[in-house]
Amino acid sequence: MSTAVRGRTPLLPRWLTADHPLPWLAPMFAMILAFGIYPLAYSIWLSLHQRNRFTRVDEFSGLANWVQAFGDQRFIDSLLVTVQYTLTCLVFQVVLGIAIALLLDCERRGYGLLRALMTLPLVVPPAVTGLMFLLMQDGQFGVLSYYLKLVGLVSPEAPILANPRTALWGVMAADIWQWTPFMVLILLAGLRALPKEPYEAAAIDGAGFLQCLWHLTLPMLSRVIAVAVLIRTIDLFRIYDYVYAMTAGGPGTATETLSFYAGRVFGVANFNYAATLSLIMLVVLNVVCFTFLKLARVRF
Amino acid sequence: MSFREYDRKTFIADTARAFAARRIGRRAFFRRMAMAGVGFSGFASTFLGGARPFGGLTNLGTPMAMAQTPDDVTAWLKDVGQQFAGSTVRYTSEATPPTVVASELKSEFEEATGITVEIEIVPLEQVLAKATLDAQGQLGTYDLYYLDQAWSALFQPDVYNPREYYEEKPELAMPGYDWDDFSPELVKAITTANGSVMGVPFDIPIFILMYRKDLYDKHGLAVPETLEQFMEVTKALHEAESGNGIFGTTGQLRSGHYSLNCDWTAWLWANGGSIFDANRMFAGNDAAGMKGLEFMLELVDYMPPDAKTWTWDGEWQSVAQGLAGHVISWGEFFPGLDGGDSKVAGLMEAAIPPKETALRAPGDCGFNEIPHIGHQGGSSIALSRYSKNPDAAWLFMQWVTSKDVVARSSTVGGGASPVRLSSFKDPRVLEAAKPGAGTTRHFPAIEWTINNRMGSEPSDLPSWAEIANNVIPVELGKLLVGQTGSPEEAMAAIQSQTDELAAPFRG
Repeated sequence: MSTAVRGRTPLLPRWLTADHPLPWLAPMFAMILAFGIYPLAYSIWLSLHQRNRFTRVDEFSGLANWVQAFGDQRFIDSLLVTVQYTLTCLVFQVVLGIAIALLLDCERRGYGLLRALMTLPLVVPPAVTGLMFLLMQDGQFGVLSYYLKLVGLVSPEAPILANPRTALWGVMAADIWQWTPFMVLILLAGLRALPKEPYEAAAIDGAGFLQCLWHLTLPMLSRVIAVAVLIRTIDLFRIYDYVYAMTAGGPGTATETLSFYAGRVFGVANFNYAATLSLIMLVVLNVVCFTFLKLARVRF
Repeated sequence: MSFREYDRKTFIADTARAFAARRIGRRAFFRRMAMAGVGFSGFASTFLGGARPFGGLTNLGTPMAMAQTPDDVTAWLKDVGQQFAGSTVRYTSEATPPTVVASELKSEFEEATGITVEIEIVPLEQVLAKATLDAQGQLGTYDLYYLDQAWSALFQPDVYNPREYYEEKPELAMPGYDWDDFSPELVKAITTANGSVMGVPFDIPIFILMYRKDLYDKHGLAVPETLEQFMEVTKALHEAESGNGIFGTTGQLRSGHYSLNCDWTAWLWANGGSIFDANRMFAGNDAAGMKGLEFMLELVDYMPPDAKTWTWDGEWQSVAQGLAGHVISWGEFFPGLDGGDSKVAGLMEAAIPPKETALRAPGDCGFNEIPHIGHQGGSSIALSRYSKNPDAAWLFMQWVTSKDVVARSSTVGGGASPVRLSSFKDPRVLEAAKPGAGTTRHFPAIEWTINNRMGSEPSDLPSWAEIANNVIPVELGKLLVGQTGSPEEAMAAIQSQTDELAAPFRG
């Protein structure tokens, strides 16, 4: 076959018509090298050095930045906030996603429109969503605050985003609103792909909705759920936009996530420590994802 | 039907209730919600902390503000600038009033010289990040830097001394530029670090007193002249008006934002404290420092609870929405409060800030810190040593800080305060000193405060940018929301981090 190809294209250079895969892999390899491996290697180099921001001299500092991070209470706190944020949003998005997907998995008239409407939150830029929720939760002007005050859930003296006990929930509300439809769409696609036979057999045996859900739908959907959870976990763990738009990590450090903290350190030109924080984040995220993949037995 | 006609608090709620009760149809419901969305979007844009609050360039286009660059200056620009025609000058800045005005007027410069000027306007923290990256990497992406006084020392090795540049390149020196027209106090406070001049004064936001004259008159209150009187008037206003949704004062107390540092330093200095002592050690937790912090914490009781989530833009909005009786804050708020969409247009007056309870002498402070209640947040425009077109950039830098442009910047309604002495006396500036959008009637208070009560942060400390942005406002933010147990604990946390960051520069 390769001889025939060469025969048909005598004007092409020899390397382009060869059977060897290298020419075809080279562009992708170059991209990975430029945009993946080099930045990673440079980050590792940065984390092992200390730059004097005033003399502009880099000095090898070994693991000093790494040691500093694990003794840095703000880093520990931001890691805890990130974990709390990730787990809480994930639980809400999975539970709501399954529930809404089950509700929308219907062929009756109008459901197609509802499914299409579910995509709307996904096209709004996260920073704009953050601003919308910032305004809705504003103690003076916010419609959400207004109603929560009416029912006594929020005190006028402690606006949602000014109270360390509620601020993270306020930020998470934006995330849950925006990304639950993503779960819904993925799960809906999974639901549509499930075979009908097991349900027919279960119906003959007299199984109810909950029994079908528990013994058929969720087990058969588990791989789809696992992939969706994996994608969202990665996204949630590096959350930045909503925090930036809504609280800037405050009040105090109540909503300061790891990526926001790293960004703030970067913003004051402490590139070495910021790189270290980013690498720690990468390591944590990789460990979590690989463990999850193992436990969920997901293979790509 | 306009969104403005409705109370922002209840518009969406009322619409939803009307729809649920079948008083309006589905179409009307969607239409109103869309209008609310647009309205909120516009309103939201001021809440990101990315933009300085001012009422827009309300007088842009009027003969007063838009007189063209004087003929002699245009002739000089044409003569000298043509050799750089085709080059591009890049500048990144916060949306400060003079930057926005420069962005609007730059076409005059471009037409005369053939030099293209690209002004990139981004939030303050991004300006720092971009300028830092450019300087640390010696990239030359930007020809001009916007340098907030809090960061000046950090960029000391990266910029030309403009006075030396002016002397060394007489062929590029603007005739009649007049260095002496810049207030010496401003030059020292804004553009100087460790004795070296780094840029030209460009912006001078400074704390003055802005108050609701109608409320003062209603309750028979006199303009406070001392700090104690300020607190008494705050309490009186709060007690009398809180039932009407008006708080005694307001603030910019968002945790982790530089604005919180600005508020704290004003109260610290006004109570006789300082950030550093003469030995260049943190002194914010000495007796005077703790008094200043307690003063601020007491004031917080008379502010809207949301003040803890606001930076300067939220603070300005709160005054413009009529939520505060008075405030000591940035004078550049005033032109926007006096017109446009402001609910207090024509009701506000500006005055000098009250006299400090006690004052520490600059000699007893460290790193060129100058205590005074009139906290200045000035900035300079500086010429990058890594610029690929330094001469073209230098021409623009002179033009944008020239007498004519500075005076015009002050009159187009952007809230720019003059950095030149002559601007305060400029006929166009004086003509605009009447109530209305873009007013300059607060300039006497600004000028007096610059000359008599201007407080400046430690501009000789290169790590001050990190301390002022990433240490003080974070720890104070934690204190304000109860994450830190006590003021002493918060100050101890600030002290340990500040002393560590300042250690390499203690000398």
